Amino acid sequence: MSELTHAPAQKRFVGGRFLGGSQLVLGFILAVLCITISIAAPQFYSEANIIAILRQCALVLIVASGMTMLIITAEVDLSVGASLAFVGCIGMAVLNSTHSLPLGMLAALAFAGGVGLFNGLVVTRLRVNSLIATIGTMMMLQGGVYLFTREAVQNHNQLASFTDLGAGYVGAVPVPVILAALIFVVAYVTLRFTTLGRYLYAVGANERAVRLSGLRSERLKLFAFVVTGLCVGVAGMILSSLMNAGQPTAGRGFELTVIAAVILGGTSLLGGRGSLFGTLLGVLVLKVIDNGIIILGWNQDLQMVVPGIVIILATYLDIIRNKANVR
Amino acid sequence: MSLVSTASAKAEPSMLARLFARQELALLVCLVLVLMFFSATVENFLSVRNMTNVLGQASLALTAGIGCAIVFISGEVDISIGSLLATIALPLIIIMNDTNSLLLGVGGALLFGLIIGVVNGYLTAYAGINSLIVTLGTMFIMRGGVYLYTGQRAIPDDASLDSFIALSDGRLFNIIPYSAVIAIVLLAAFGYMMQHRPFGRQIYAVGGNQEVARLAGYDVRRVKFICFIISSLLATVAGIILAARVGSAQHTAGLNFEFQVVAATVLGGVSLAGGIGSLTGMALGVLILQFLSNGLRGLGLPTEWQLVITGMIIIAAVAFDEAKRRRANGG
Repeated sequence: MSELTHAPAQKRFVGGRFLGGSQLVLGFILAVLCITISIAAPQFYSEANIIAILRQCALVLIVASGMTMLIITAEVDLSVGASLAFVGCIGMAVLNSTHSLPLGMLAALAFAGGVGLFNGLVVTRLRVNSLIATIGTMMMLQGGVYLFTREAVQNHNQLASFTDLGAGYVGAVPVPVILAALIFVVAYVTLRFTTLGRYLYAVGANERAVRLSGLRSERLKLFAFVVTGLCVGVAGMILSSLMNAGQPTAGRGFELTVIAAVILGGTSLLGGRGSLFGTLLGVLVLKVIDNGIIILGWNQDLQMVVPGIVIILATYLDIIRNKANVR
Repeated sequence: MSLVSTASAKAEPSMLARLFARQELALLVCLVLVLMFFSATVENFLSVRNMTNVLGQASLALTAGIGCAIVFISGEVDISIGSLLATIALPLIIIMNDTNSLLLGVGGALLFGLIIGVVNGYLTAYAGINSLIVTLGTMFIMRGGVYLYTGQRAIPDDASLDSFIALSDGRLFNIIPYSAVIAIVLLAAFGYMMQHRPFGRQIYAVGGNQEVARLAGYDVRRVKFICFIISSLLATVAGIILAARVGSAQHTAGLNFEFQVVAATVLGGVSLAGGIGSLTGMALGVLILQFLSNGLRGLGLPTEWQLVITGMIIIAAVAFDEAKRRRANGG
């Protein structure tokens, strides 16, 4: 809603165009985090560490790009973590039997896209609340992956191109980061500069109005579900390449990290409000915190505690800022 | 919708008509069908032993489900209950190990649960943060806190108090597990509150239409605040039962528990939108899922199939319910 009305009006200063709304708070948090950590541990700013952080961000950002679209249309997908594990196993199995990266990718994308399509159809056709529908899919996938394989699907193909997917570099930049950047840019342009993107916001803000103005709101939501699924397909292949195996136990809690990053980025769970740039900042904040905890030599279990506090705090600051704006 | 029907049902058309108009009947039919199917296919399924065992297993989800349903009815969600199960086991076991007193241990656990409920409730009702975000946050914080404190190791119950062990394997009259008795008593008490006490009706009103409830003079914030406290305290009781069952404070206790409870609650016809549903429905939802998983195990299916089938049934049930509701509303 406010994204729709604010976007054109906010051209007063260059930063304002990007840092409108909650991103300002988040950018501030990110800056404070980076400065504090680098004072305490100078190696934070080493090239190796920055690349490590970016690589950590890539997986989350890929799925979060789709998830942002989905949450903007006022739906949510909790099955992405379970799907991520399943996709990795299926992709690896196909690679092992065909020795062809394109076929493996295709299988992964088809499966993950299929999961997205299923979720989307259940939500739009059967009108099941997406929180419940995707909890159901999550259970089915968690059970299904163990029926598919009891243990990790090992890498028997040793394809160089597949290993590069997770561990390769182009110049100094890891391949996953490039893939994430590509997906992010495509999603960003779609959401911000295309009619389709504006329709996605509109569906989330007021579905009834969208339907009455002659658009097929179900199609738009279905689109967002499938896109989220396809993103999971890419992320699943990268993850299995990084781990050199398809792990059925991978991705536990991944859905919550992704959703946390999206919410942290200022996207409203009620739909119609949010931005991919915020999501990028959200992912960065969460992963910088993770990295900082490791670099400072703190207990790694803090990696669960601190994001929890940050999500609540950032949302609260956002509410306070909104109230101040109203006055 | 059903808020109106349950409220106006106080005008009492007839007991029978009232019963048939309700969603609980459809759930009861489902439960009976599940029972019939498995009694025909699984040996000893209908034995008293198996029935009471399932009831004992269901007691966790039943107890926590009451709180989950009440929070749903008030128009909010609480997904922190799984982590809470692991968290409150720490004060419980540690205090019992130190003092050899069940009462002090339970008191400590309830105090912890109360604090968590106050935090969830305050942040949602008074600070105005979306409850999904708040409880997602506290879920992370509590789980991480438990990992930090325990170093990802279980803390065993060294006191081994008879009264504590009885919580897991003791049976009333040697038939019904104490944990099930606790769940049933709580269910009856809170069911009475929700249907017949002013506070229960306030919760329905707040969840049904917050603005109208506010104009009617209800303190919406206070109602929601108390709902979160109820939810946390009931999850604490479930956590105590779980700790008794496993005989230790496990850092992984209650992983995914919140999803199971949410699924059963929604299956029981409690709407995420607020104002709709009943504790009876929730209880039937829990029992259907529990008997289903017990029966499937009896058929010799691996646990993975139980997950798959449970997932399908949840989606199918909610879809069916939604279709029925749309037809009732004339498309």
